[in-house]
Amino acid sequence: MYTLTFKIEGRPHDIKCQVEAGENVLRAAERMGIEMDAPCAGNGTCGKCRIRLISGALEMPQNPRLPYADYEEMWRLACQSTVVGDAVVWVPASASAFKQDIATADLSTPEELARYESAIEAIFSTGLSKTPFTEGCGIAVDIGTTTVTAALLDLATGKVLSKASRGNGQIRFGADVINRIIQQMRPGGKERLQRAVREETIIPIMESLFRDSGKTSADISRIVIAGNTTMEHLFIGADGDSIRLEPYVPAFLELTGIDAEKAGLPAPPDSPVIFAPNVGSYVGGDITAGVLDTLMWDSDLMTLFIDLGTNGELVLGNREYMLTCACSAGPAFEGGDISCGMRATTGAIDSVRIDEETLEPQYTLIAGEKPAGLCGSGLIDIISELFRTGAVNSKGKFVRESRRIRYDEFGGNYIVAFADESATGSDIELNEGDLDNFIRAKAAIFSAIRTMLGSLAMTPDDIDRVIIAGGIGSGIDIEKAISIGMLPLLPLDRYSYIGNSSLTGACAMLLSDEATDKVFEIGRNMTYIELSTEPGYMDEFLAACFLPHTDHRLFEKPEEG
Amino acid sequence: MAFTRKAQTYSSSINEVTIGTGEKAVTIGGSNVMPLYSFDAPLKNKVAVGAEITDSGVDTTLPGIASYYEGAQTIGEIAARAAQMPGADFVALALNGADPNGDNRPVDECVEIAKQVADAIDVPLVVTGARNVEKDTELFSKIAEALQGRNVLFVSAKEENYKTVAASAIMAYGNKISAESAVDINLAKQLNVLLSQMGINPESYVMNVGSAAAGYGYDYVASTLDRVKDAALAQNDAMLQMPIITPVSQETWAVKESIVSEEDYPEWGTREARGVDMEVCTAAAVIAGGSDAVILRHPESVATISRMIADLM
Repeated sequence: MYTLTFKIEGRPHDIKCQVEAGENVLRAAERMGIEMDAPCAGNGTCGKCRIRLISGALEMPQNPRLPYADYEEMWRLACQSTVVGDAVVWVPASASAFKQDIATADLSTPEELARYESAIEAIFSTGLSKTPFTEGCGIAVDIGTTTVTAALLDLATGKVLSKASRGNGQIRFGADVINRIIQQMRPGGKERLQRAVREETIIPIMESLFRDSGKTSADISRIVIAGNTTMEHLFIGADGDSIRLEPYVPAFLELTGIDAEKAGLPAPPDSPVIFAPNVGSYVGGDITAGVLDTLMWDSDLMTLFIDLGTNGELVLGNREYMLTCACSAGPAFEGGDISCGMRATTGAIDSVRIDEETLEPQYTLIAGEKPAGLCGSGLIDIISELFRTGAVNSKGKFVRESRRIRYDEFGGNYIVAFADESATGSDIELNEGDLDNFIRAKAAIFSAIRTMLGSLAMTPDDIDRVIIAGGIGSGIDIEKAISIGMLPLLPLDRYSYIGNSSLTGACAMLLSDEATDKVFEIGRNMTYIELSTEPGYMDEFLAACFLPHTDHRLFEKPEEG
Repeated sequence: MAFTRKAQTYSSSINEVTIGTGEKAVTIGGSNVMPLYSFDAPLKNKVAVGAEITDSGVDTTLPGIASYYEGAQTIGEIAARAAQMPGADFVALALNGADPNGDNRPVDECVEIAKQVADAIDVPLVVTGARNVEKDTELFSKIAEALQGRNVLFVSAKEENYKTVAASAIMAYGNKISAESAVDINLAKQLNVLLSQMGINPESYVMNVGSAAAGYGYDYVASTLDRVKDAALAQNDAMLQMPIITPVSQETWAVKESIVSEEDYPEWGTREARGVDMEVCTAAAVIAGGSDAVILRHPESVATISRMIADLM
């Protein structure tokens, strides 16, 4: 037995634990209740679980997510390190970034609030009426795989009294739903995952809602929860395994008859907790609630609704019919799976322009003075610009020389900001692995659109409008997203962005039983396509793994005149 | 009403690519009809057949090969004999011995061998590498330099090394390359697009869309060839109009039917006859699917396939 000592930034006391030789450091940390982000669930592919070896020794193979210079400076990846003797390690605060409240693009600015208010107004001008509440408050919660957002509303007036959000505490069990389900099925996993989202995420959010609005848990007479199918399963403690395994049928689509007591939420025990209904394993309540917000169910226009969150979900249709599918785009649009990726918050680069001659970048930040990384819209921009300037080829491999491009044994790296310009004190760079991940993510979206259109014998030109929602943020540059082959080549005025449609839909459900019934009707009427069993999908996907696409004719603008 | 036959010709055609120099230079591709559809329009060029030799000498375990090359001692003599093989249009030098996981023959020696082969023959030369990306990159670059102006075809550049191989073999030394992909139409096209983005002239390269011995997943090869030809001709996809070369022998002489001994499988007949059968039926299949050139090892296979081509032209 050896002693492993964790020195945690910002904590006065060290944590010591007894470990066997060969024990994994991340598992040891987990055992001791030390929270560390591991979006890849410890597979050594995300590089987020960095620790620094202060004394003693750990064994760790070379890993592309840890540059050699950092290795020399004694940085290690906890998930790849095993114990070979006594050791003392330092855990930086950034290792548990999910704990920090993060700024999200939901109802935090006057514009977003205005958009929300007009969306609610539009929903209730379709013929649906609000339930005539005379008193009490309600809380709408959007459980995202990465971010959880909630709003506290006065039911009588419909006013938003406060809103709050924070990272989903489950992120340390994996960035994507599959890894979360795998973790849930381990002994004690059901309770761990439930605690992470309820006690460590939603309840603190509710407490801050109470604080900001001056209300208390006793005022809450109604709660609506919209999450993807996995999030709803993990929250309520239902087995998620059947979501992950063929034939991909979830334990439930509609969850009814739940009250605050059963849900374990701080509200009077008999207050109803309403869950937005799921459509299939990978299209859940966040989408049915989101569709309510798009109003596509009340329109003749052929509408494509794309939710670009931790996964991409698509809905195509109008008042006549709707098709839906999910594509495994992964968390790239929220900055996950990308070495320099981050959520759309302080320090995030959200737009980039690169000079054709020198390859020097110009960028803007969402907030803050110095860049810390790139968020989804920044990633779309930089890849579009690297491709436009010929710095990378259509496969996403670097082919030009510049002081901004550094080659190592894993391929090329583009330095967006040198160490002295960045908030992190080290270079912010995009490597070929990141490009690969992002190209796969955009290919997943585009090939899903093509497959869905193909199943209706339609072409992109049959789409009257495209509505984009989700964590990618309003900063998305549609023209650049088209230039990399992520979205179909359509006139830009057919595209619009509606923010967090899931939360807006959940708020509407909070205010109205009719709206709730409508969401259930939408859920039951959608046709769900399982792409993984769709014969042509793999071929479409491979064709889309290219900038902009293997069939370049899909992205050639028609001649003017 | 009387049946009137309609010729299925296309307005687009496969590119023409010439390898070798002088009178015996070979041009492949050029047709505007489906493979071997000579009843729709005359085929522009005949499917070319290459006789394969290796840097490690003659395979004396096969009587037919041993007797054909009997008396040929040096690599030059072997090459000269291969060039005269009835039905062969070009010689393919396989540098199998250069494989770092095998004999790891140094690049300098391989360059010397390639020079001797080139000097001994008047037909075009195709060089197939060690099937190791790093080694092939160096081999192709050095041999391309040594054989500048001979219009040698290098088989094959892949996604990992196409840039270096194309830059040296084609741009610097005026030779030709083939672009290899793994039995997938999208990957084949993507590599062609990358080459065209480098400014490589489409007449400077051919494709090797991958192959398999008959019975070893050949159905994937068949559908890939079909889709490539359909895209090239019916959909006029310029990025798939390169002629196709298939190194058949490398696949067919590595499968069980061509390897196991007669003692172990007496009911299967002689190893040599089996190997020739595998080579012939795979070659016939890829030609029917649209391959414009094949590389074969056994003299009997070369004779059989070239007769088939002549009969169908």
